[in-house]
Amino acid sequence: MPAVLTVDPRSGVPIYLQIIEQIRRSVALGVLQAGEQLPTVKQLAIDLTVNPNTVARAYRELERDRVIETSPGRGSFVRPDGSAEAPKVGAEIGRGALDVALREAKSVGLTRNEVRDLFEAGLERWFPTEAA
Amino acid sequence: MSTITISNLRKLYGGVPAVDGFSLEIPEATVFGLLGPNGAGKTTTFKCMLDLARPSSGSILYDGKPLAPETFERIAYVPERSVLYEWMTVDEHVEMTRRAFTSFDPARAYELLAQFNVDPHKRARALSKGMKTAVMVALAFARNVNIMILDEPTGGLDPVNQRHVLSLMINEAAKGNTVIFSSHQIGQVERAAERIAVMDRGRLILEGLVDDLKADRKIVEGIFPDVSFTLDGIANDARVARTDRTERIVRLLVTAGADEIAAHLSAAGAVGVRVLDLNLEDIFLYAVSPATATADVVAKESST
Repeated sequence: MPAVLTVDPRSGVPIYLQIIEQIRRSVALGVLQAGEQLPTVKQLAIDLTVNPNTVARAYRELERDRVIETSPGRGSFVRPDGSAEAPKVGAEIGRGALDVALREAKSVGLTRNEVRDLFEAGLERWFPTEAA
Repeated sequence: MSTITISNLRKLYGGVPAVDGFSLEIPEATVFGLLGPNGAGKTTTFKCMLDLARPSSGSILYDGKPLAPETFERIAYVPERSVLYEWMTVDEHVEMTRRAFTSFDPARAYELLAQFNVDPHKRARALSKGMKTAVMVALAFARNVNIMILDEPTGGLDPVNQRHVLSLMINEAAKGNTVIFSSHQIGQVERAAERIAVMDRGRLILEGLVDDLKADRKIVEGIFPDVSFTLDGIANDARVARTDRTERIVRLLVTAGADEIAAHLSAAGAVGVRVLDLNLEDIFLYAVSPATATADVVAKESST
């Protein structure tokens, strides 16, 4: 696996969640491909200088969520249907980011219609409609 | 293999408790961080674990058994202050350690000393504080033991060498060994430790998985339209550890259920409700000096 993972231990986000998020993102973006082998727990712990049990916890959750699979003695791999999962993972990342933005908007007291206008304007900026 | 159980440990020095009723279970195959302000009792706890200080009461068991000579052989200890002999060279310390411990690997010790850029021909008195720490760390990690007790093992080291020490600790945990360390550098504990305990005035005030503490402990902040607001039952919620109220702003330190409590605040009429993450330093400061922390967290948040 390319050295794509980094963690920020000083962040308030648990390290195992940072690892999960980055592996899911890598799968969604195709940086990690179906069937590709992940580093061992020990190797990733040493590479990132974090506790091996923290890495093991991230791998367990990724297995449970069917993003990766581990076979004893061989190692951990992105599931063969992992790329089929990619759009779903992409959607989850997008939904999470939108949730944060919407909560912020709500917390500063914007109305539903104001949020809708902002969203439409943002959508137009990032996803311009093709000229008819 | 090496679970350590500390039960009701008390250690009095001249009638004054340095450790005052302290119970803790340290699991095997991990890195465990012991945090606390100066004088909290960390070093005394370590000394009691090694039988270098006799507990006034309570017990420390290794896999259910008191410290026996064969267990002692499986423990490496790096004390906070240098125990090197000032007039002896580093080479002579390696030789002395080789004679004292059968499982000691001198070649590994020299490899580690080279990593730390320590000149083995130098006498201890010619070494800086950091280099002395590096020598003690190198000797300890070349002992091939199952339990490592490290009291400030990065004291005086530069950032590159601090990272070396953390990598060594992680490597031990990956091999199935148990590493217990104390450090005032909370960033290091946050990185390497899976589980922490916070001591204050001889007592245990907080314990848990670092990732779980971060996932659960949050600041929930809300701003009310005017100063005369009521929090209804929110402040009495068992998950709200602390409430700070200044004019229109309320900040709650919660130990769980942040999103739900945020929703309660909104329902009570608060606008601008935010949930702020806490890093280990914030969590530590709340635990040991609850009076100062909220404003700092919020200030830090707004400056980023």
